[in-house]
Amino acid sequence: MLSFKRYLLAGAAAVTVLAAASPSRAACELKLGVVGGLSGATAQWGNALKAAVDFVVKKTNDAGGLQVGSERCQITTSVLDTKATAEGAAAAANQLVSQGVKFVVGPVVSPEATGIKPIAVRNNMLVFLNSYAKNAIGPQWPMVFHEGPGPSVWADAIVKAAKAKFNIKSVVVVAPNDQGGTDIASVDVDVYKRNGIEATDEYYQRGTTNFAAIITRILAKNPDAVDTASSAPSDAGIMVKQLRQAGFKGPIGRLGGAATDEIVRIVGSVEGVGDFYWYENVATSDPKVQAIYDDFKQVMGAPAPENTTMILWVAASQVLLNGISKAGTITDTKKVAEVLRTLPVDDKYLGKGFWTGKSFFGIKQEIAFPFGIGMIIGGKMLPVQRVEAVDQD
Amino acid sequence: MNEFISAGLIGVSLGAQYALLALGFTLIFGILGVVNFAHGGFYVAGGYIAYGFVSHLGVPYVIAVLLATLATGAIGYLFELFLVERIVEDHLATLMLTLGLYLTMSTGVLVAFGPESPQFQFPISGSLQIGKFHLPIENIVVLSICLLAIATVYLLMYKTDFGRALRALADDRQVAAAQGLRPRLLFPLAFGVACGLAGLTGALVTPILSLAPHVGDPVLATSFLIVILGGLGSIGGATIAAFLVGLVEAYSSVYLGGSKGALALFVLVLIVLVVRPSGLFGREVRGA
Repeated sequence: MLSFKRYLLAGAAAVTVLAAASPSRAACELKLGVVGGLSGATAQWGNALKAAVDFVVKKTNDAGGLQVGSERCQITTSVLDTKATAEGAAAAANQLVSQGVKFVVGPVVSPEATGIKPIAVRNNMLVFLNSYAKNAIGPQWPMVFHEGPGPSVWADAIVKAAKAKFNIKSVVVVAPNDQGGTDIASVDVDVYKRNGIEATDEYYQRGTTNFAAIITRILAKNPDAVDTASSAPSDAGIMVKQLRQAGFKGPIGRLGGAATDEIVRIVGSVEGVGDFYWYENVATSDPKVQAIYDDFKQVMGAPAPENTTMILWVAASQVLLNGISKAGTITDTKKVAEVLRTLPVDDKYLGKGFWTGKSFFGIKQEIAFPFGIGMIIGGKMLPVQRVEAVDQD
Repeated sequence: MNEFISAGLIGVSLGAQYALLALGFTLIFGILGVVNFAHGGFYVAGGYIAYGFVSHLGVPYVIAVLLATLATGAIGYLFELFLVERIVEDHLATLMLTLGLYLTMSTGVLVAFGPESPQFQFPISGSLQIGKFHLPIENIVVLSICLLAIATVYLLMYKTDFGRALRALADDRQVAAAQGLRPRLLFPLAFGVACGLAGLTGALVTPILSLAPHVGDPVLATSFLIVILGGLGSIGGATIAAFLVGLVEAYSSVYLGGSKGALALFVLVLIVLVVRPSGLFGREVRGA
């Protein structure tokens, strides 16, 4: 009898110990999907996204986790490479669905956005993406949010500044011939035309490595300026280099993803770039923005990636976590989406932003922050000028 | 008229670079019967090895190019000797093996050097201005070296015992082996030469365009297209097809634009393959 009691007590003790150590009791885990082109021509943008999410996640976890209702949740990530393709993004989204992931940060470029949206809709997945496509977000995708605005918000201010500085009367906008290029180039062309500049577009096959022939075609039009729009950073670098080698002396613009550092490296020097103007994701000259680089190094123990899209992704990831925390759920994405739509946008590094997108996309789910206008004049880099985003709604 | 002459010069320049790449690709297929999906990886490796020697070790560019050629050749030699050779008769297995090597190489470069293009400049800059034309001097130098390298490959293949042995193995491996030629000795050497050519092209061309982990993707696609057009395994066919592709690409891009120009190239390849399914100079069936 005594022996039976002993066994009973030992069994009860074991159950108690196991229950205390059980993961279901101890862990509230929020798993974020991170989807982007981590390899290929747009790897710079995809890796900036990944670094941003890693930074926000580590900072939050180091502080004890994310407060969700009465629990503090540790955040983990599931990172998937799309190679910047629609099919890659769709495959990644399906994989995340199978892992039970409800919230996704990324992807970055338009073909990826096209690939992920139908799967997000079918599975009630909340996606915070970036894309300059004309249909990046929309009422038919209520769970899709936009990390930063496209050229419809910022191109006008940059074209006005470039026209005033370089007296541009005609421009050729050149971009890849997929949605990642055509949607941006067509908006850029419209903005140039609205500002009284004669504008035409030229497209190239994604994967082109030598642009000498296309540049010959562009220069035959004798434009005052050439705009590399949303071409991949390395493509834009080769184009700038070959334009200068071909004797083009006019200004070169970039109303697309910022990648000036890489362009300068490919050309060889700032002097070699000549006159250049571009959309900068953030006002990098602002000391508050600069502070992110110190914070990143302190938290991650390594320097931040050079591409400034990282800063926008940090802001977007933080907004998403704030939304999840305020909604008090890590499973009900509809509730989180409702909270996000009313959540004030105020970032430690970027300052006050706002939700916009109603007039352009038909849905107010796009975050806009102050952005920057960059210029190289006569081979000299000027400080990036801070510009307040204008609410189109 | 200016555009016409300019497109012709660009086409010849592109053709020479393509020829150097396609020669290596077609050599491996012609001699070993292996479709080397890692060819673009050796191009990238050539660029990064030369960049590493120049930027990190201060080696003069010319020496760095030679070292990059030798290093990529050595990697190719060892890869064939220890991995490909064991399954050389299995075409599907070699295809997967070379594809795996390419993914390993490109991801390795991405991890080691990051996704951004490094600053890697050709040591000579400036353009020759002839009337309205601007001819970058670096392009002229690269074109000259490419033509010299192509001539060297021809001499190697048609004027040396080594080349004759490789061609004999390509024609009929069993008969050549019965005559005393040793595939296990010659195949790794052929693979090394071909990979060295890709590495040489990478070391020469990436400083005048750009160097990044992904630049091998279009190289593989272009090489494949050229050797199919020229005839898989045909050295002469690959060379002629490379210049043809370069010229068509240049003229169609100038006169039709970047999108329609690319389409024109694929239509041309399609027509050639309908008329001559084995390519311009291809054989009906590989003998080896």
